[in-house]
Amino acid sequence: METTVRVENLKKIYFEEGRGEVRAVDGISFSCQPGEIFGLLGANGAGKTTTLRVLATILQPTSGTAALMGHDTVREPEWVRRSLGFYSASTALYPRLTARETLEFFARINGYPTQRVKARVDHLIARFGISEYADARVDRLSQGMKQKVSIARTVVHDPPVVIFDEPTVGLDVLNAIEMQKVIAEFRTEGKTILFSTHIMSEAERLCDRIAIVHRGKIHASDTLPALRSASGKHYLEDIFVHFVERANAGSLPLLEVP
Amino acid sequence: MQNPNATVQPSSAWSQIRTIYRYELRGALRERTIVINSILIPIFLYPLIMWAGFTGVMFIQGHSDSTKSRIAVLNVPREHPGLRARFERDRRINIVRDASATPDQIQRGNLDAIVEFVSPEAERAALPGNFTAKITFNGSKDRSNSARQRVEGAIERYRRDWVAREGRKLGISDAEWAGFKMTSRNLASEKQMGGFVLGMLIPVLFVVMVAAGCFYPAIDCTAGERERNTWETLMSSAAKRVHIVVAKYLYVTTLGGLAGALNLVAFALTLKPMFAPLLAQAGVTFNFAVPPAAIPLLILAAVLLAGFVAAGMMIFASFARTFKEGQAMIMPFYLLVMLPPIVLQSPGIQFTTTLALIPVVNVAMMVRSVVTGIYPWVQIGITIAVSLAMIALCVRLAAFILRFEDVMAGAYNGSIKQFFRERLFGKAKSSGGIQT
Repeated sequence: METTVRVENLKKIYFEEGRGEVRAVDGISFSCQPGEIFGLLGANGAGKTTTLRVLATILQPTSGTAALMGHDTVREPEWVRRSLGFYSASTALYPRLTARETLEFFARINGYPTQRVKARVDHLIARFGISEYADARVDRLSQGMKQKVSIARTVVHDPPVVIFDEPTVGLDVLNAIEMQKVIAEFRTEGKTILFSTHIMSEAERLCDRIAIVHRGKIHASDTLPALRSASGKHYLEDIFVHFVERANAGSLPLLEVP
Repeated sequence: MQNPNATVQPSSAWSQIRTIYRYELRGALRERTIVINSILIPIFLYPLIMWAGFTGVMFIQGHSDSTKSRIAVLNVPREHPGLRARFERDRRINIVRDASATPDQIQRGNLDAIVEFVSPEAERAALPGNFTAKITFNGSKDRSNSARQRVEGAIERYRRDWVAREGRKLGISDAEWAGFKMTSRNLASEKQMGGFVLGMLIPVLFVVMVAAGCFYPAIDCTAGERERNTWETLMSSAAKRVHIVVAKYLYVTTLGGLAGALNLVAFALTLKPMFAPLLAQAGVTFNFAVPPAAIPLLILAAVLLAGFVAAGMMIFASFARTFKEGQAMIMPFYLLVMLPPIVLQSPGIQFTTTLALIPVVNVAMMVRSVVTGIYPWVQIGITIAVSLAMIALCVRLAAFILRFEDVMAGAYNGSIKQFFRERLFGKAKSSGGIQT
């Protein structure tokens, strides 16, 4: 099967005043296929967001490689971004543009064929049920409305790969469920979804494969049944704790010796 | 290279720049702060300030004229009884009949001046009736200063009349005792005088307006985007980083240039109706028409200045994470830009080749020169070349700065000085300084 995302021994190390060298991502490798939701599950600061930001070409890797649709994130960042929709807490919408203008703008700068922009925007407005407020300024929309526009913005250029970095953070239960539905729909359309979360139930419900990320490394990566069998635990929460404890035990002499 | 995603096509550089520029501008025109600072203030503020200023001056002048000076007149010489009558005839003077007037009364504000006539004892050749008028006043009080001027004027007019009268008694005509007199002729036309006044006023306001026009857009499209979390949305789009920088730069330049041009137009339209009646009162006539040949050069000046100021401001704003930080970072540059034209207010300064080499100063001098109808083409040429070179340098610098991922992501923690020392002139210290 075609590989849409390939990450090999990816490292992101930076220097932070007061903390010294920080190994945010420390040798992560994985690959994804079309129509798959690949989840990065980890606590805050585990390295999920950094990995996804490297894939989105916002950050550069210190070493290792990452490629989307065969395009290297360092050598061909524009091609990577054309093939990618990136949704995160730090990708807000332009408050002074209307929902329609926002979609048109991102379709155009992402290289969507000019003559098809209007039709694509109309289609997304209908699909996400935002026609009532399509011509209202984004800063006048409710949180739920903004969320819909934001998802539409992410896929307006019909990218084959979509990254959702903690997409349900700050959303109420209904909006979070709505978000999960949309992500599942994208899978059925054949898109590759990279999904990061620290909410176990979300990962359990959505992901085809789950990678357990801790301290910049992937400590386990497989389907939920395979992770159950490897850990001997049933619930994802227990599975996660099992692998994290095992990882910590490995570094016990360094970290926890009194 | 082939794009495997059939729906998405590579867009040209110009198409990306144009799209970002258009949407930036559209968003900005919906932002009240930007519209006020870049459009409304240039059109209305300065004409309004000038109108308010002149109205205020006229009011104060009228008020001052109608305020009587309270003066104590002591020891009027017997030989000059007409002196007291002269003071009494002056409607602006109120003689206080108090022989015991003291300087303390002036200090307390109960009296404006004391004029005391004393004999000029020191002068051996003094004739009977000669006197020295000793005026006591308080220079820190407007009313007292005005009293001194009125007293001096009244005595001077009395002296002139007295000398003429005494001369006639001795058979000396006015022409004989006067000896000589002075007249002057102003060769400047009304148009040239108008140009001179415009040349003094326009450069300062022009630079201030262009800088003010660039100020908010420069922060809004950099630090403002980070604060609103839209920066990363744009950076994760397929647009090239350099295209994003160029589009934002053009947008800031447009608003700065627009502010400058609108200010010039507003000025040209409002100066005549505002100044002409005031100057007519003083018996001076000015023509404030800007020479038609100057208009293209003024537009060019607006573009050049806006281009430089926009690039400079974007360099500083690139480091800011919030709007507040952006304001603090840009402010020193903003003040620095406004300083030279204020110094250049001196009328003696000429548009030399040396001045043409100094950014901002050269454009201000070019504006000053062309509005007076003088076109020093060599200096204008140097100004254009220097400004374009500075713009190119600043834009390259801005693009260089935004190539560093920590600056681009708003995660750079060092100072601007440290950034330039380490990354422009030395080695990057941390991996956070990776160039994208």
